[in-house]
Amino acid sequence: MNDLYNYSNPFSGVNAVQLDIDSILDYWCNPFMYDLYSEIKEADIYSDVMNIVFMGGRSTGKSMFLRYWSYPVQFKNAKNNNQKLSKSIADKNGIGFYFRIDGPILRSFQGKGISEETWSSIFIHYFELIIGREYFEAVNCLYEEGEIQDNEMNEIFLPKILALIGINNQISLQELIDDFDRRIREIDLYRGNVAFFKEPFKPEDRGFQSQMLSFGIPEIIISSLEVFHGKNIILLLDEFENFVNYQQTVINTLLRFSKPNIKFRLGMRLEGFRTYQMMADEDFIKEGREYRKVVFEEVINKNRGYHQFLIEICKKRLESIPLLKSKGFTDIQKILSDKEDLEQEAIEIARGQPDKIINFFNKKLSKVEISKIRSDNPLMEALNCLWLLRGVSIDTVQKSMNDYLNNVKSPDALKYSRDYVDKYKLSLLILTCSIYRKNKQYYSFNTFSFLSSGIVGHFIELCRRSFAIAGWGDNETLLNDGIISKEHQSKAARDFSLAEKQQISRIETYGGLIAKFVDNMGNLFRDFHLDIKIRYPETNQFAINIDSISDLQLKEAMKSAIKWSVIQRKPGMQRTAPSENLQDTYTLNRIFSPIFQISYRTRGGKSIRLSEKSLIMFMHDDKVDSSKYLNEEKKGLENKPKKPGDSLDLFSV
Amino acid sequence: MKKTIYHMELLNDTSMGLQVLDYLILSSGSDTRACEVLKKYASQGIVIKTVVIINYRERLLDSKYTDNIFSYKSYSSFNTKEIECDIKDPSSSLQGLLDIEFKPESIIGVDISYLTKPHLFFILKLLKQRFLIRKLIVFYTEPKTYLFTKGLFDTFKTSSGPLSISEIQGFSGQRERGAKTILIILLGFDGGLSKEINEDVSPNQTFVINGFPSYSPKFKDISLITNEKLVSDKNISVRYSRANSPFEIYNLLQEIKSLEKNVFINIAPLGTKPMALGACLFALHNPEVRIIYPLPDTYESKYTDLSWNTWQYVLPMN
Repeated sequence: MNDLYNYSNPFSGVNAVQLDIDSILDYWCNPFMYDLYSEIKEADIYSDVMNIVFMGGRSTGKSMFLRYWSYPVQFKNAKNNNQKLSKSIADKNGIGFYFRIDGPILRSFQGKGISEETWSSIFIHYFELIIGREYFEAVNCLYEEGEIQDNEMNEIFLPKILALIGINNQISLQELIDDFDRRIREIDLYRGNVAFFKEPFKPEDRGFQSQMLSFGIPEIIISSLEVFHGKNIILLLDEFENFVNYQQTVINTLLRFSKPNIKFRLGMRLEGFRTYQMMADEDFIKEGREYRKVVFEEVINKNRGYHQFLIEICKKRLESIPLLKSKGFTDIQKILSDKEDLEQEAIEIARGQPDKIINFFNKKLSKVEISKIRSDNPLMEALNCLWLLRGVSIDTVQKSMNDYLNNVKSPDALKYSRDYVDKYKLSLLILTCSIYRKNKQYYSFNTFSFLSSGIVGHFIELCRRSFAIAGWGDNETLLNDGIISKEHQSKAARDFSLAEKQQISRIETYGGLIAKFVDNMGNLFRDFHLDIKIRYPETNQFAINIDSISDLQLKEAMKSAIKWSVIQRKPGMQRTAPSENLQDTYTLNRIFSPIFQISYRTRGGKSIRLSEKSLIMFMHDDKVDSSKYLNEEKKGLENKPKKPGDSLDLFSV
Repeated sequence: MKKTIYHMELLNDTSMGLQVLDYLILSSGSDTRACEVLKKYASQGIVIKTVVIINYRERLLDSKYTDNIFSYKSYSSFNTKEIECDIKDPSSSLQGLLDIEFKPESIIGVDISYLTKPHLFFILKLLKQRFLIRKLIVFYTEPKTYLFTKGLFDTFKTSSGPLSISEIQGFSGQRERGAKTILIILLGFDGGLSKEINEDVSPNQTFVINGFPSYSPKFKDISLITNEKLVSDKNISVRYSRANSPFEIYNLLQEIKSLEKNVFINIAPLGTKPMALGACLFALHNPEVRIIYPLPDTYESKYTDLSWNTWQYVLPMN
């Protein structure tokens, strides 16, 4: 019995930046095995001669990915496999150095009455020192392991390094590392006190210019140390979006002038570049020339590889809890159930009030007529009402349903099947929930995968909350049967959805505008979902050409929404109507679906077209009048076919 | 080793504990708490040679002369010096404060009830580092209630709009190579903030300190519930300390520091002002400690209401 209360949530608190090296290796799931990124292969990490930018929202696994390729993790992996460290470098064809400078430090290099030009010099000096120290630590590690010989170190490598740095006396590598510590401390002290004294920075020793150490040291490493001959030096720089504008220009310049054997792998949010400018004002970097891009966040996850990847990640976490491992509860698909059962959900909602759907659609039907469209399945009953509303005769409705249910291969049955199974089932359930004033439930592995919007961290958080709620609500079922009820899952999804929505206003830039936009857009989608005629089922995307927005504030707000994965761009461009131009199409992050009670699926079809004028309303008005948009669509439909089963060409997925 | 830095006193209606001050530094504000101490001094007829008013430009912008924010002007018996500064940039008050030329032996009171935390930290460090002040008398008036706009658990915010998590000016700390990063969050009600800070700092270990006993019994639960995600994380340790005692916080921080060597301590003072005051003292005595705070675009003009107890703390600054 004690076991029930003595286990920790397997999905709690695993932030890649915080993990120790052993945990990185324990939790690592190689995304290349799941075919997640078509743009890149594993060998490119160390060998691609182009800089690579890894873009994705928060919790998409960028930090885990970048840290994994860094030398401390690879060295530990080699040791675990009784391999020499130099063999690891040889096998990988290079060595990786991971850097993350936290936001508060980066932001401290500005303001306080000091000019940006001065801060820029201080930051460059700091950045070069931080990178230089990391190089030295890696070399020292190999030296201590006996994989760099004394003569190589003392007669070749160190003299060149000391000359580069401008140190005249002979000191050891460890002493050099200590010296770099001192120089870094000097900057920290200055950052701490400048607000009180507002004096210029005067380092005890020389200041370093850009590239001096970041490129200068690797060149010496590669040329002087045998283990690095012909190998690549990879700088894995994380959270680049936190770098302030001028700091990005410093790194952009390094991207432009990176050497053949020294390349960057940057991790950042989508739209994480604040600027493409370089330190020389007139110059800028460009995708395809200075870097190539790999996107970690993919709103459409039709790829089964993503599902398998999630299962594997969860398995490692579930196995980390001895109790769950011993009971064999390590398959998240079984714990959450594979897919939701829409029909069962509808039956439970309608239980005890069977007439509500028919009453809602049409109160004037006779008892005989009602009996013809009755079904034990509320969703079919709702579809029958929808067909009636669209002008189909009651006898045709009855025949179509019966043919479908009796597996008769008639054209009516085919149309019925197409509408029920392929097109409207989820829409009918959402409408039914609205009629009964109940919340749609969001549960199952498949649903959580969709809700996660390609962001692994979202899936993990949905699981964490499900486990936490089940832990309180029904621990015994969880630990005896390895199942979490759909009610508990659904509560987890709603809570997380609400929490994410509340966080929007906290976004550093334009949070208020984005929060209003999401509110208005979510409610508009909701109104489309409640359309009694379900003219545009599961409408949950919009089209806009962000680059053509002339109002800078609106444009930047939209970019910030992308950066924080509040909205996600669908691959490829679409038309909102046959006569319209191709435009980029966006969805709200699916995690907001539970709070707005809308579809979590990614389908083609209807997009709300947003002009700049309407965007102003969506970002500034407390409530946008949805009738305008619904009526616009209604007009557009007047010339469209109205027969049941006729496709409205909405779902050219 | 624990430091004894105490004198903590509840000022009653007759305010017997008040003493003559050379300076009283306070911030104007629309809540009655902002001038509670000034009111006590005026009603007792006790001398303050100069009252230094910190006026945040952003709050003055839309204020009429009759607004509560200017209620300090009604205490006309005091010589007043007003310093206008940016709410987001504490160092913008530097020149105004330097002009005063405080002496190390000056008897200085600071009413922290309405000072923002970054300004509170800045002023205390300035008084210690540049003016070599040896002792401070700090006042704090508790709010009678906090304003929860839509419900207890999700809606409390002391700031509005976007946030930028930053080091408080003067408290950058110093991280030694290889040091384990520890984050200590003095818990407030705004759960989103602590989660953001934890992610931004990404420490190896996080301690959260909940105010207990709190001003009101329910407050300690609200802060835990709103911080549920953070508190349930694997590497989180929850501790308790009295919400109105800077000295308990100080000692608790000292205790956490002594748990391990070679740690880089980050403190996020999201909880009550007295807790923040304790953190400030601790950081002044341990300059390697970093203070992290989510600097908002602006603060809510009013997030508490009415006055409750007023506390007086006497702090040794050396």
